[in-house]
Amino acid sequence: MRNSLPTAALSEFVNEVAAAPEQAVMDYGVCLDWESGTRSCATAKPMRVGPHRVSRSFTWKVDEPRQLMGLNHGPNPQELLLSGLGACMMVAFVAGATAEGIQLESVRIDLDATLDLRGFLGIGSNAPVGFPEIRYVLHVTSDATPEQLASLHARAIAHSPNAQTILNPVALTGEIVQSHDEC
Amino acid sequence: MPQTPIRGDAASDAPQHTRGGWLNRLDRKRHVGPFLPGHRLDVAGPSTTAVHAGTHDDPRTGAVGTPIYQASTFLLGADQYGSIEEGFARDRFIYSRYGNPSQWAVQEKLAALEGAESAIVFSSGMAAITATVMALVDRGAHVVASADLYGGTWNLFNQEFPTFGMSASLVDPQDFSAIEAAIRPETQLMYFEAITNPLLKIIDIPRLAGIARRHGVRLVIDATFAPPVAMRALEQGADVVVHSASKYLNGHSDLIAGVAAGPRKLIDMIWPRLLNYGGSLDPHACFLLERGLKTLAIRMRTHEESAHALARHLESHPKVRRVFYPLLDSHPDREVARRLLKNGTGNVTFFVESDQAAQQLVNALRIPKQATSLGGVESLVSLPFNTSQASYTARQRAAIGIHPGCVRLSVGIEDAADLIADFDQALARIAPAKEQAHA
Repeated sequence: MRNSLPTAALSEFVNEVAAAPEQAVMDYGVCLDWESGTRSCATAKPMRVGPHRVSRSFTWKVDEPRQLMGLNHGPNPQELLLSGLGACMMVAFVAGATAEGIQLESVRIDLDATLDLRGFLGIGSNAPVGFPEIRYVLHVTSDATPEQLASLHARAIAHSPNAQTILNPVALTGEIVQSHDEC
Repeated sequence: MPQTPIRGDAASDAPQHTRGGWLNRLDRKRHVGPFLPGHRLDVAGPSTTAVHAGTHDDPRTGAVGTPIYQASTFLLGADQYGSIEEGFARDRFIYSRYGNPSQWAVQEKLAALEGAESAIVFSSGMAAITATVMALVDRGAHVVASADLYGGTWNLFNQEFPTFGMSASLVDPQDFSAIEAAIRPETQLMYFEAITNPLLKIIDIPRLAGIARRHGVRLVIDATFAPPVAMRALEQGADVVVHSASKYLNGHSDLIAGVAAGPRKLIDMIWPRLLNYGGSLDPHACFLLERGLKTLAIRMRTHEESAHALARHLESHPKVRRVFYPLLDSHPDREVARRLLKNGTGNVTFFVESDQAAQQLVNALRIPKQATSLGGVESLVSLPFNTSQASYTARQRAAIGIHPGCVRLSVGIEDAADLIADFDQALARIAPAKEQAHA
């Protein structure tokens, strides 16, 4: 199998979804429980692939460095955002390369982003609260030409759900549910 | 590398590469199989299907019937290498653990009998069950299964599942609200048997399928006690049907084998588990199974004829307290049986007055062999109290309906009159209970 991906099965899935679009609907969920200070525990909820349930059973800690009042017990929310973005771009790049017949030897995506925390802290400035820019470098070893890789890169970004979520406005809707525990 | 002939399923080919496009350009679609090239049987009756589907005469010599391809490995060429690179190695002959023409022939016959797109044979029913279950669950998964499970399957859920961080809830297979209530967010699979052992409850598969669909859960049915001809579990709504093929499918009590059949999508997910767990079926055993299957329809008709006649006779016998046979009017699930079963089977379970009387009876029988298993051409008889449920206490046995005196009988294809005469003489030799008490 090229790049450890079965192109035949990928092709069969593509054609299945073209005929039965409900198979393309993916429901994801994550639940965060505050543990202490800046630390929380994230759990992936069971997801749905098309109409079918998939057990996930993954949990991980999220924390801030001590300099930001945390205990540095896990990656912070910004690192998880970058890793979620980079991993999604990786899937798109590798799937696209495989479907194109490109053999990959190595792929590394190196992401950096700079934040001005004055936005979070509410200190008056023109700084945006979020990242104004995310920079990345794609390191690739493969049998492809530079032109093939450039074209593949553009198509991977255009089809990466997380890249497109970051590049486009997203509705963020939420509510609060209050419970009254006895103290 | 020069092109080499396709050794495998000629209908299967690599997808075209995307050539500057995106994944939607991939053109390979899923199709039935993999099947050997040659005749494909159109819709036919069960007997014609059993005889002809998947049976491929030798193209080199004209020998009638599928040759036995007793080979572990196959000549490789560009076509096979390409199938590995593009991820459709299941459709080519490479190595017999992956696939072998003898396996494909019997798989095609089994798929045709079950009305399935695809099938895989295994070295035992448990190999089929384990590979199927493990293909359809993920880390942390939960399974809702029947409380009347076959012991081997129960061991998979009880002994192996916790090691993988997975769990199973066992529920009365006829308590639909309890089944639905047992489904959790992480439940991925419902696992039930079409007919339970030994009390021969007929499970309402369409109703289970409705629950499974509502919750986005897959339904696997072990139809060992209800082979095609009697029932096609996939048509009743199962996602995958599994069998111990050692029983009715082979029918001659001379091999151990299993099968999983269903849509190509799911059977393709099971195939990597076959490779990883290694329960592949030897080509010679495939030949035996294919040969046995040719008479499935005629055997099932005769199983029903002899079993039904014997069950009716036993029901009228003064030394028999209760008879369970799904086609009898007295069977608790007769309505479900009439709806789901197109043909009866050979399994009859009945009760005499005590386990001691049951033992006297089976010792006195001349035709049935005192042995475990079922579905053979010869009648087989055993007692749950000292075989399948020997590890239970009498109270535990009673809790699942196995009261003292329970006899598990698999009626073969012998003449009903001979079996009836044999049971009459054996029942006559059961000593009266009073004498036993003073013995």
